[in-house]
Amino acid sequence: MLDAASANDERTIDEIAASTGLKPETVTGAAFDLRDAGLIGVAETADETIELTEEGREYVSEDLPEARLYWTALELGAADEPVSMSEVIGNADLAGPEVDIALSNFARKGFGAIDAGAVSVNADADPDSDPEAAALSALADGEAPDADEAVLDQLERRGLIDRVEHTTRSLTLTDEGVTALMEGVEAAETVDAVTPELLTSGEWEDVEFTEYNVEADAPVVEGGRKHVLRGTADRVKDVLVGMGFQEMEGPHADADFWINDCLFMPQDHPARTHWDRFALDVPPIQDLPDRLVERVESAHREGWGEDGDGYHSPWDRDFAEAVALRGHTTSLSMRYLSGYAGAELEPPQRYFSVEKVYRNDTLDPTHLLEFYQIEGWVMAEDLSVRDLMGTFEEFYRQFGIEDIRFKPHYNPYTEPSFELFGKHPETGEEIEIGNSGLFREEVLGPLGVECDVMAWGLALERLAMLTTGAEDIRDLHGTLADIDFLRNAEVTY
Amino acid sequence: MPVVDIDPDELRELSGHDEKDDAALKADLFGLGLEFEGETDDGELQFEFAPDRLDRLSVEGVARSLRYHYGDARGVHVPDTNDADWTVEVEESVPDERPYVTAAVIRGVDLDERALDSLIQLQEKLHATMGRGRAKGAIGIHDLTMLKGAAHGEEGTNSITYRGVEPDGDTFVALDSDAELTPAEVLEKHDTGRKYADLVADYERYPAIYDDLGLFSFPPVINGRRTEVTTGSRELLVELTGTDQWTIDRMCNIVCYALAARGATIEDVDIEYAGEGPDGRDELVRPDLEVDEKSVTHDRIETTVGVEFEPEEVVDLFERSGLDASYSLGEDVTYDVEIPPYRVDVLHPTDLVDDVGRAYGFNELESRYPDVGTVGGRHERSRLEDAVREALIGLGFEDLLNFHMTSGEANYDRMGVEPGTDVLGGGEPVGITEPYSEDYTQLRTWALPSIMTLLERNTHRAYPQDVAEVGLVAERDETENTNVAEHRTVAAALASQDAGYEDAKARLQALAGRFDADLETPRTEHPSFIDGRTAAVVVDGEEVGVVGEIHPRVLVEHDLELPVAAFEFRLDALAE
Repeated sequence: MLDAASANDERTIDEIAASTGLKPETVTGAAFDLRDAGLIGVAETADETIELTEEGREYVSEDLPEARLYWTALELGAADEPVSMSEVIGNADLAGPEVDIALSNFARKGFGAIDAGAVSVNADADPDSDPEAAALSALADGEAPDADEAVLDQLERRGLIDRVEHTTRSLTLTDEGVTALMEGVEAAETVDAVTPELLTSGEWEDVEFTEYNVEADAPVVEGGRKHVLRGTADRVKDVLVGMGFQEMEGPHADADFWINDCLFMPQDHPARTHWDRFALDVPPIQDLPDRLVERVESAHREGWGEDGDGYHSPWDRDFAEAVALRGHTTSLSMRYLSGYAGAELEPPQRYFSVEKVYRNDTLDPTHLLEFYQIEGWVMAEDLSVRDLMGTFEEFYRQFGIEDIRFKPHYNPYTEPSFELFGKHPETGEEIEIGNSGLFREEVLGPLGVECDVMAWGLALERLAMLTTGAEDIRDLHGTLADIDFLRNAEVTY
Repeated sequence: MPVVDIDPDELRELSGHDEKDDAALKADLFGLGLEFEGETDDGELQFEFAPDRLDRLSVEGVARSLRYHYGDARGVHVPDTNDADWTVEVEESVPDERPYVTAAVIRGVDLDERALDSLIQLQEKLHATMGRGRAKGAIGIHDLTMLKGAAHGEEGTNSITYRGVEPDGDTFVALDSDAELTPAEVLEKHDTGRKYADLVADYERYPAIYDDLGLFSFPPVINGRRTEVTTGSRELLVELTGTDQWTIDRMCNIVCYALAARGATIEDVDIEYAGEGPDGRDELVRPDLEVDEKSVTHDRIETTVGVEFEPEEVVDLFERSGLDASYSLGEDVTYDVEIPPYRVDVLHPTDLVDDVGRAYGFNELESRYPDVGTVGGRHERSRLEDAVREALIGLGFEDLLNFHMTSGEANYDRMGVEPGTDVLGGGEPVGITEPYSEDYTQLRTWALPSIMTLLERNTHRAYPQDVAEVGLVAERDETENTNVAEHRTVAAALASQDAGYEDAKARLQALAGRFDADLETPRTEHPSFIDGRTAAVVVDGEEVGVVGEIHPRVLVEHDLELPVAAFEFRLDALAE
């Protein structure tokens, strides 16, 4: 194509196609590529061609309807006296829409007049020199019509001709094109796909690849991904394992003994009433460890140690044996600390779990009936409140939560106890982010633990809402989930 | 958590600090653990606090705590009491369910509107907390001058009696009523009676207190109108009945301390049990304002708080907490600590350590990371769960996390499965005894119903929807320690225009292959799947689940308009 193009003369696509033996489409495509490469210039001129419509061709052979009307009326003597319209139409052999066409153009062209149903003709008129008819016949002979624009517009309006606009592209070599041509151009074939043949034949060395519009939108791919809450849970587990914590495991449905009694929660504590707890309809657990049950009962009734008082609340073994869904994973801590979950533990120990708990609460944007609790504890000799603060500050720091505030609090199972407050990393708002404390002797004594244990708990969803910005907890968790929310949630790591 | 409504002017007056503005009071109270919650319509400030310091349920108690906090008061203060002029005789007829009573007489009280409101608030808040909604302890306060005591003993003192009456055995006019009603009628016709009727529903005889004129109190439901307390009342009888003597005695103490703070004099009341009283004693003198004592070592305080103290410093901190302490120097310093009778939260010396820490200011402490080395690690079960989850994600599944609680309808009916049948998901349900909602009445026995529900809720979202879950399922099993068999399940579904058996099996195969498990899929039947397109999942020779195309009946039931191929099997099948 570069050879066929000239630096001085414009050559049209068709000319180049003819001289190169390429298809005009191919030449056009290549012309733009070469233009983009700066080797040729492309000039565009707009041309118009006029073609007769079927109706137009008909009138070339048969005369225009208005001319036929004129000649017939003239024959019937309408130059002297008006002749009835029906007679003229019948003799002129006009039918259907031709009648209206004939009548309207007859008057427009001054061939005569129609009045009160009679036709009179203007004897001076000369339909033979009608420019419209002349233009049509010129077009029929393949000549350019010698007519003004108004006549052509009129014919177009009458639907007798079609005017078609088309663009002619002419090519010239640019200076760069000339230089390139002189230096020698290597023509490489462009291909769409990398195929096995292309690779094995070695042909890939000689081809160029079709360029793509790399900015165009690509189809949507969902793929699989970890649940966003699970991602937060994994992060928490990583942090805790890194801090030396071992993961606990244990039943979701458990005896109230492990869930509450071991925790020194009096049996008439409001949180143990039926509307806060999910009691299950299975028989009670019959084989609780008797020695431990006695010690726990004694702690509740008489207190632990010389100066211990215990609660002034009823204590009933049947209630302790009843099975419920755990309201906190502290039931696991009790099983581990008692040695019931495995080996007797000697200090120091660190344990955690990130597992599901069940609370009979209202389902709303910030509360679920089931949620994940992060539970952790440290067992060691002589732990102080300062150790507790240091441990939890370190944990929360991993999530960008600094400036933890410890508000003295009350829990039946820990003393001292603290609610933890932290600043939201983005909004700066102070929010409750956990509950903590040193387990009471009434908890540890019956379990046979003779050193200190500090523990804390936190809802994973609360942490996830902070880290993902989710506003409705129900989008995060459960069969109410919106799959698009899960697909679009930002990955946490 | 309990909330106490406080008139800030009264608090300034009772604490003796007129100069404190509301903001200063709020800040000081926050330091004590009372968090400002808002204002009432009457302009009273509301503070929320943890339910340990129930002695702070009224403005008098809060003012007392502030005085200790400011250092204006130190140590234990016990109001003087006068000798008893009144006796409560407890008859054998007293209902077994509510055997205990305690009482105090209050003289010379000046009850203006605010003081009366405060007293009523204290009574209600104590009912709600320690009183466990009046079940464990209920307080009745009466205008003493309206009572006519029966002559008692040689000295001719006054007595009233606590006894049981037949439900229709007597009549009285209750508060806020004009009608002469029997106790049973009060439970039926009086608003307050109806509210508390459940408390005595199972009682054969109802609790009743009599003076010489007749029945004047029907605890724990309502007082009689005759002895109603007004701003004009100057002498009061406080009586409490309940299921535990210690609890009602402490509630009584908190009321007595609040009234004493307003200048009233406390007078003892003798309690005489006809049968056996608490701890085998049949005669008591109440209120029980005896000061309790506990000892705690210096070492324990230093260890827990994490600070080194001089003994004098510790004594000071005790005193500022409203406690008294003395110590003996020796090898191990030990403090003998006196605890005032309004405290209900000191069950163990550890609670005294907490008081020292609070008085010192926990937020003054410098944190430190415990210098203790341990080795961290994940539980094997959770590692396996994660490995399977990762494999499923790699196969293109969206990881789900569904509720473990569900309904019988979702778990069985909508899947076409009968409970108690030998198919996957057909296990006997573990039911929730008192379900909160009909959507959550049991634990799920399998996970595919959760997945089908999720697909049902997402029909407006783009397909394919390939989703999977590794999670808990449970069924009733009396061979288990908890009578509940819990295990983890692996469930997955492919929902798209052309999802079929082969697609599900292909992914199942890939999953099994990754865990080097030997998979076979012999033909089986399952009511949720299409016959002839369903196979048992057999891993290493053991049947552990099912794979197939979900039955159109189940699809239509879940409003799905395209096929779903799915599998579910037990996670432990993939364990080594």
